Amino acid sequence: MQRIMKRMTFLLLCFLLSLILSPTWGQEVAQEVTKEKLTLYHSVMCEDVQDRKPFNPTVVFPISRGKAYCYTLFEPVPVKTYIYHNWYRRDVLSFTIRLQVQPPSWATYSNIQLRESDRGPWRVEITDAEGNTFQTLRFSVTE
Amino acid sequence: MNSFWEFLSGIRWQDFVDILLNSYIIFRLYVLLRGTTILYMLMGVALLWFFQRIAVSLGLIVTSWLSQGLTAVAALIVVIIFGGEIRAAFRGKGLKAVFWGFPKHNPPSSVEVIADAVFDMAQKHTGSLIVFPGKKSLKGVVQNGIIWNGEVSKEMIISIFWHNNPVHDGAAILDGNQITEVGTILPLSQRMDLPKYYGTRHRAAIGLSESSDALVVATSEERGVVIAAKEGEVKVMHKRSDLANRLREHLGISVNRPHFWAKERLLLTAAGVLSVLLVTGVWFSLTRGWNSLLITMETPIEYTNRDSRLEILSTSANTVRLHLSGSYILLKSLRPDQVRVQLNLEPAKPGQNVFSITRNQVSVPPGIILSKVEPSTVEMEIDLSVTRTLPVQADWKGELARDLLITDVKLSPQTVKVVGSSRELEKISTIYTQKIPLEDVDKSGTRSVPLALGRQISVATDTPRQVTVSYKVEPRK
Repeated sequence: MQRIMKRMTFLLLCFLLSLILSPTWGQEVAQEVTKEKLTLYHSVMCEDVQDRKPFNPTVVFPISRGKAYCYTLFEPVPVKTYIYHNWYRRDVLSFTIRLQVQPPSWATYSNIQLRESDRGPWRVEITDAEGNTFQTLRFSVTE
Repeated sequence: MNSFWEFLSGIRWQDFVDILLNSYIIFRLYVLLRGTTILYMLMGVALLWFFQRIAVSLGLIVTSWLSQGLTAVAALIVVIIFGGEIRAAFRGKGLKAVFWGFPKHNPPSSVEVIADAVFDMAQKHTGSLIVFPGKKSLKGVVQNGIIWNGEVSKEMIISIFWHNNPVHDGAAILDGNQITEVGTILPLSQRMDLPKYYGTRHRAAIGLSESSDALVVATSEERGVVIAAKEGEVKVMHKRSDLANRLREHLGISVNRPHFWAKERLLLTAAGVLSVLLVTGVWFSLTRGWNSLLITMETPIEYTNRDSRLEILSTSANTVRLHLSGSYILLKSLRPDQVRVQLNLEPAKPGQNVFSITRNQVSVPPGIILSKVEPSTVEMEIDLSVTRTLPVQADWKGELARDLLITDVKLSPQTVKVVGSSRELEKISTIYTQKIPLEDVDKSGTRSVPLALGRQISVATDTPRQVTVSYKVEPRK
């Protein structure tokens, strides 16, 4: 009878302890999930993207190279969302590209075809859907 | 008729002050220097200057050049040679005497006393030689005088020429009631037409009268005759009254004293009027001379009282054309810095502003008349001046070697503080460097590059105008 009582007391204590601890533990997990936010892990201007990796990173693009790439790697990506590459030539928005990113990490890029009239200083602003800027990359298009 | 009214309306109150002030200065110079040689010399210099102006207006190049030189030399000579006389004219005079008072002439001496003394000496055949100075100074003409400074009396005069007196052979100089000098040696006349019985005393009397405006009275030892010499002319005085009248005439003494002062007043009034006329003539010839001209002058607009927060974006005109008229002399000597157009920007507000350019905003030298301003209004776009901090970006140009890549660029400082109109700064979000040539780049390095700023943008005072560009060069893969 005494053993039964001891077991009952132990089980009751365990139950009470689980009641006390279980909601707190659950909350912390939920908070960690919500705290994780979309982060730009790496971004660079490059001459090409090969095997989802930037090739020949540079800040000066001769027109003869044909294209300029803006490579971005997001990690972590909490939820599927969109990011934007806004290309400016001398403070004037040239064009905007919307790119999808998916969890848990995602590399993506955009590029422009270089023409004679594109010569001059450029920048690419990388923003989220709300327009918050992650990073601004600056480069020049030359002869 | 219209031009006459225009001419009169162009005269300002300052011009009246100008004329009156200078007239008074000339009048005072006359009053202070009256009776001195310096006055005649100054008149000569003035005549030379007048002659030079005429020569200039007639286009006589050499004459005007020569007369200009002569005027300058004459002015210098006057100051050097007559320095003593100028000092004497001003010596012992207070400010009131120089600027306001009238020098009092010595009270007339008792000419009867002098005439009595002279005729008594003539009666006793006592030789005498008495000088009564005129308006010109006798300095340099008479010599070796002994200072006497004794009051005139019959006994004193007779005792000076008493034959045992050591100074009885020279001349005595009488100025007012004072015997100022005795034993003075006078210049002898060189005239050949004088009577043979004229002795040394007569020749001395005539000699001094020839070289000055003094009256010289002499009595002869041999004949006991009294003579009076003035301006080289000798008159025999038969009676005491003749001599007394001659002396009065020379000394300007009127029997009737009020008449004398009335004459003095008339003389001074005439001198004052002449001074005004002279200065008025000079003033008009300078400012409204017969060679009146009309010129156009392009003058920059100066902005005053501008609120430091306001920035001028654009103006319809930065200069205005001023139509100016005036005498040839004044316009010829007019310098651009003497003409100013100042626009008060105190009422300026951000946006479009229109300002009228009125005569009050144009300053020209006295005597020059502003006829017209073109344009009469200036439109101005004004904006608020703001300060912003903007990122700096390197602006590369040229061709990089094909086997090289610039993989990284860092700028220091990364941002700069710039000042400019809010409208201009709203349009830009980056400040670029001036073009950096790629031809020179073959390895990693650092260089200092100036900023390329727009016309209406400048860096803040605490911000450098250059940035340091550090770049990393790697071989192309």
